[in-house]
Amino acid sequence: MSKVLQVAWREFIVTVTSKAFILGLLAVPVMSIVMVWAAPKVFGPGDLKAQGAVAVIDPDGRVNDALRTALDPDSVRRRREQVAARALEQLPPEARALVGGQAIAQAGPGIELVLDERPADADIEAEKARLHAAPPAERPLALVVLHENVVEPRDGSPALGGYDLYVPPRLDDRIQGEIRRALTDAIVMARITARGYDPETIRALVSVPRVRAIAVSPEREQGASVVFTMLLPMAFVLLLFLGVMTGGQALLTSTVEEKSSRVIEVLLSAVSPMQLMTGKLVGHMAVSFVVLALYIGMGLALLAGVALLGFLDFSLILYLVIFFVITYLVLGSLMMAIGSAVNEIREAQSMMMPIVLLLVVPWLLWMPISRAPDSALSVTLSFLPPINSFAMLLRMASVSPPPAWQVWLSIAIGAASVVAALWFTAKVFRIGLLMHGKPPNLMTLLRWARAA
Amino acid sequence: MISPDPALADAAIVLEGVTKGFGAQKAVDDFHLVVPRGALCGFIGPNGAGKTTTIRMIMSILFPDSGRVSVLGRASALDAKDRIGYLPEERGVYRKMRVGEFIAYIARLKGVSGAGLAKRVRRGLERVGLEGIERKRCEELSKGMLQKAQFVAATLHEPDLLILDEPFSGLDPVSMRQLERLVRTEHERGATVLFSTHVMHQAEELCEHVVMIHRGRKVLDDSIPEIQRRYDPRTILFEPLDPQADVAALGALRIVERVEPAERGCSIRLTDGASPADAMRQVVERIPPARIELARPRLEDIFIDIVSASGNASADVDLPRPAAIDAEPEVA
Repeated sequence: MSKVLQVAWREFIVTVTSKAFILGLLAVPVMSIVMVWAAPKVFGPGDLKAQGAVAVIDPDGRVNDALRTALDPDSVRRRREQVAARALEQLPPEARALVGGQAIAQAGPGIELVLDERPADADIEAEKARLHAAPPAERPLALVVLHENVVEPRDGSPALGGYDLYVPPRLDDRIQGEIRRALTDAIVMARITARGYDPETIRALVSVPRVRAIAVSPEREQGASVVFTMLLPMAFVLLLFLGVMTGGQALLTSTVEEKSSRVIEVLLSAVSPMQLMTGKLVGHMAVSFVVLALYIGMGLALLAGVALLGFLDFSLILYLVIFFVITYLVLGSLMMAIGSAVNEIREAQSMMMPIVLLLVVPWLLWMPISRAPDSALSVTLSFLPPINSFAMLLRMASVSPPPAWQVWLSIAIGAASVVAALWFTAKVFRIGLLMHGKPPNLMTLLRWARAA
Repeated sequence: MISPDPALADAAIVLEGVTKGFGAQKAVDDFHLVVPRGALCGFIGPNGAGKTTTIRMIMSILFPDSGRVSVLGRASALDAKDRIGYLPEERGVYRKMRVGEFIAYIARLKGVSGAGLAKRVRRGLERVGLEGIERKRCEELSKGMLQKAQFVAATLHEPDLLILDEPFSGLDPVSMRQLERLVRTEHERGATVLFSTHVMHQAEELCEHVVMIHRGRKVLDDSIPEIQRRYDPRTILFEPLDPQADVAALGALRIVERVEPAERGCSIRLTDGASPADAMRQVVERIPPARIELARPRLEDIFIDIVSASGNASADVDLPRPAAIDAEPEVA
């Protein structure tokens, strides 16, 4: 085995068998499981518990009956289940089956509201004061003042009125939402009843089922998923980010460790700096490929499980690999150059700042690029190394992929940036490895690159 | 380019006019050195004299600003790394790595392969008295144990050239003796050995040949016997049979320059041109001796003499050394 492969193999084995790597590798799937299964239980609407009265001043007296019905716990549960069901309609049937039952089950309980009818001529200011001044047991959750024309027009005006809602400063917005929905239902019901219409007939007339769009392609027709369309570009950027950070961070720390432990001179007695640098780059790239393979495999299994695999353009995975290699070699080698120049990890933090900022850019621009993949900003960023890989992947995974020539031009620019980054790193690496003492700044690194 | 001189071409190490500076300071200045194959050569000098920089240039870890380096007949050590064993001054290991794995890793980088490698590692450790530590992590070893383990790593591939930079620093006397024996064994095996030290008497005991460097320049390059002959101090160490004998009376002899009391007896400094044999005969005729011998010059004394002669009387063999390279080395 060549010396480069010997170095690469050691870097690979030492990294993938370390506890930190294994824990880090498992962290993402575990967190995903927690997010999908545990988070709704912990943070979902099921945990909302509220009980109290809604004080209502109804000058006309024709809404209270309907409102009492609308605030009934069964009505509250039914409305919340309808909201959850509408959100789930965007998911494919398999995904709906996976999470739907849980989401709908959690939509029901928690809010118990009772109607507190106030006199039609009650002093509104005094009623408002009860929201904060009344004893806690008697304090209403909200005060609703219905307009006089809420059911029938008044004073010659055809317009119908509404209501004023007064709440304490910190009332949960979900309780407010529930009160609003109950009021809407009650007011509409009162208006329908006042006109002698049949409520069921009216409800049937205004109700149109919401359906999922069917995506039509030459091969097949399948239910389109807005969620899938939005999340796919992000998933690819996340994979690219994880791959680059896994390899780059390990390159940085292993180089600093070799330098600070002084083992570097022993290594340099056996291999040249170029062999050492190449071996380390190859070894940690292999580590990143392990990470990518695992996460891509998990992603594909998930898509297959929810019957969305057919939407995935598999060539995107090939491009992900190409763009990963480019980005890893650029940013990973720069991180290794920094590692070779400093004495300890702490010193590397400030020099890492520009690279970290570069890696943050794609996250900031995810939405603008995904929404407008052909905009001037999106196109420009696709040719601007080293973030061109992120931008181009976002565009390729979006609803409007770029033309092939733009993709290959971006790859060519990326390849040129790889050559430049490796040249710079080789120069800094050679000088930095045996340098101890005051850590250099970025300008010093540039000077080394010019001088070496 | 390899030197056309056959003697140089066959040498293990050849440095011709090598100069290396860090910033404005010259660490090595116009340095010439020839180490023949099979030699056991000491590279001595005070801390900060330029020993490590010179060794790093020999190893092609640093490159000279000017001059030429040839190692084992190659224009660069890069072309002969697998035939060189190197124990650097700043000894480093992968702290979490197991000792056996570390030695095997370095050996593989040096071109050793095959199923017998684990056995060779075990035997190598046994040779230095560290049997059974292959599975220990490097961080668990004491400094002396680590040093011996690293010696095994430097020699497991049976190099033609062994370069040891301050190999004895930090060792207790027993470990030092053991390492000296190992160095001799490597030499007897046929390896050319170059080792640096700032402790002169170690080089004196171990080496056939000594090169001395001071402030980047070579100040001595000779065999030990030749050095002792050339730097004969014309001093006789004399211990009378009768401790009460009047040794000061020996100063009256024409060939004696002065008589100085010593730990046991006295030291007799002879005048220029005096024959030590005549002087010893005349001394024993005057006072019966318990012991009389010609003083052997110590390298340390020679070094101080050389440095003093070059106008630097304050030079010391244990000069403080810089903690690190603060200038900019140029690496291969």
